[in-house]
Amino acid sequence: MGQKIQQTKSEHLIGEQLSEKFAIAYICVDHAMRVISVSDNLPVYGYTDIPVGSDISDHVDFMVGMDAQTDLELDYISSPTGASISVSLMPNTSTQQLLVVINDVSKQAEQRELIQQKANENELLLRKQEELVAKLEQASQSLEYKNQQLEEASRLQTMFLSGVSHEFRTPLASIIGRTDLLQSIVKNDGVSDSVDFETQLHAVQRSSQHLLSLVENLLDHGKFDSNEIILQPKATELVELFYDVQVLLSPLSAAKNIGLNFNTEFADDIAVYIDDSRLRQCLVNLVGNAIKFTDEGSVDVSACIADDVLTVNIVDTGIGIKEQDIEQVKQPFWQAENTGKSGTGLGLTITEKIIELMGGELSLTSQYGVGTKVKFDLSAPQVTQQDLAQQDVVQNERQIPTDFRILLVEDDFDIAGLVMLTLAEHQIAVSHAENGDVALNVMAEEQFDLVLMDLNMPIMGGHETVQALRERGDTSPIVIMSASASEADRILAEELACDGYLVKPVDIADILTMAKQIASNKNEVPS
Amino acid sequence: MVGEFAVGKTSLTQKFVNNVFSDKYLTTVGVKIDTVVVGDTKLIVWDVAGRDSLSPVNSSYLVGAAGIILVADGTRPETIEKLGQLWDTVSDRVGDIPVVVALNKNDSPDWQEPNNKSREEFEKRNWLTFETSAKEAVNVATIFERLVAQIISS
Repeated sequence: MGQKIQQTKSEHLIGEQLSEKFAIAYICVDHAMRVISVSDNLPVYGYTDIPVGSDISDHVDFMVGMDAQTDLELDYISSPTGASISVSLMPNTSTQQLLVVINDVSKQAEQRELIQQKANENELLLRKQEELVAKLEQASQSLEYKNQQLEEASRLQTMFLSGVSHEFRTPLASIIGRTDLLQSIVKNDGVSDSVDFETQLHAVQRSSQHLLSLVENLLDHGKFDSNEIILQPKATELVELFYDVQVLLSPLSAAKNIGLNFNTEFADDIAVYIDDSRLRQCLVNLVGNAIKFTDEGSVDVSACIADDVLTVNIVDTGIGIKEQDIEQVKQPFWQAENTGKSGTGLGLTITEKIIELMGGELSLTSQYGVGTKVKFDLSAPQVTQQDLAQQDVVQNERQIPTDFRILLVEDDFDIAGLVMLTLAEHQIAVSHAENGDVALNVMAEEQFDLVLMDLNMPIMGGHETVQALRERGDTSPIVIMSASASEADRILAEELACDGYLVKPVDIADILTMAKQIASNKNEVPS
Repeated sequence: MVGEFAVGKTSLTQKFVNNVFSDKYLTTVGVKIDTVVVGDTKLIVWDVAGRDSLSPVNSSYLVGAAGIILVADGTRPETIEKLGQLWDTVSDRVGDIPVVVALNKNDSPDWQEPNNKSREEFEKRNWLTFETSAKEAVNVATIFERLVAQIISS
């Protein structure tokens, strides 16, 4: 008991001794955290006016939430004076008092702050550096990837250019060679024992058609990128269309001594509602490809129609496609390496896009060294023979009157001469104006049944001329005849109330159809 | 106020208590204690030195705490990912007390939205989370007010 009393008394005695010896401040509180005593130097730390018996938490902020049993060491607390203090909470379980010892550790805090500040700044810098390095690596990888893409694009472009160059040179060589041959024969009295004119002209025509299809593929590729392809379905006789393709491509397979077999499982008179020129383009591209990549064996084309769906299979015994290349063959400009075959690398890309546009699907399976099978399905609603017959009757009934007069506005004299000569063969009178300005003057004096108008001409272009004509009240039928296949030009022509739009090279049959239609419209107008 | 070093604990506290802000980073040694009144409640804010490479969070500072604001730096995703560990330290010492999470520095161009994993953890732990900016005084008062509200209702 005596020992306990001695211990109770010693709580603030210890504090006083510490305070005197080390400038340490203290607060002594009872079990209810009421102040029993404080050291005289406590105000040095900013804790002032603490009456004995008051609640310590009302005066000392770090004591809020503590109780008399709390045994705790708190380093580096900022005191109200700004000094850094360490606080020791020392409970005495027997007296239920708590001694709070406060010590000034400002110097140690300053040193610690210096070290901690530098260490933390260094760590922040290190993390920043790591982030920058990571970003740099990412940027470097991205650049490397872009570089690879550019290299691939450049490789494809080079392949494309060499392919296009080869593809163009082959028919051009045929056209130039054969026309040179014919020209030299003409110079020598036009007689030759060994050269058949008709055969040579057919070959020139075939090469020209091939050249045209190459150009169309190139243009179509650009059009797909700008969504400019528009389908123009009409009643089409399938047997005739497949026969045309076979006739067109037979010389290619014959030249390679491989078989080309067409097996169409539909009635001779079947007709469907489809864009015939696009279907023809797809077949020429796919069958042409099959022939190109087949050196032995045959190319077999089969087609059938069921439930208004046309299914076509093209099977070849060619070199086939390596498994790793299957996904790439439909990419534009892509060509397998080391095949010894050239091309634009666009045929399959465009064909797939056309088939998709027509609501169909193209699939391709291949075994390297064995052959390839291409299959596509297309929606092809059947039309009745009655509708077809009516369409033919309408076409055939139309006639061009003998006094029908055409004005050809064309700056290229070769094309102008060719069109005039060809139309003259059909007994149609044609006048020529070499640009829009001349045409305006001519048309101020004379009336024409049809004006064939080029677009890109010096002095005054086609659009400008048509606009000037319409503004002065001239309603003459005008058909644009331009090398531009742009949809924008086509729309502008429509806006200027033109009656048609033909893309060069123009088939003479198309001009005649236009002329017949215009003549027929003229006759139908009530007088 | 608990979090990794340099996440803005002192900035948030000083903005709320004294309406001051400085862009300069100054480390906190030990703990800074401030008093502020929120509504009818006197709040003693212990701005505890952040966890850094030299020292872990001194859990002695947490004794007697009525609530915790966990602070992370939205421009340093790792400080968000470490909130879970920090909370484990806190709850080991003081139990399950009210928590508000401040994702600070949302004014910075380097700010990144917390990833899905972090968001899932916030939801799982039922933490009230705010994007804050001591610099532009975004949600600064809100985090303290919402914590006080939670403490009073708990």
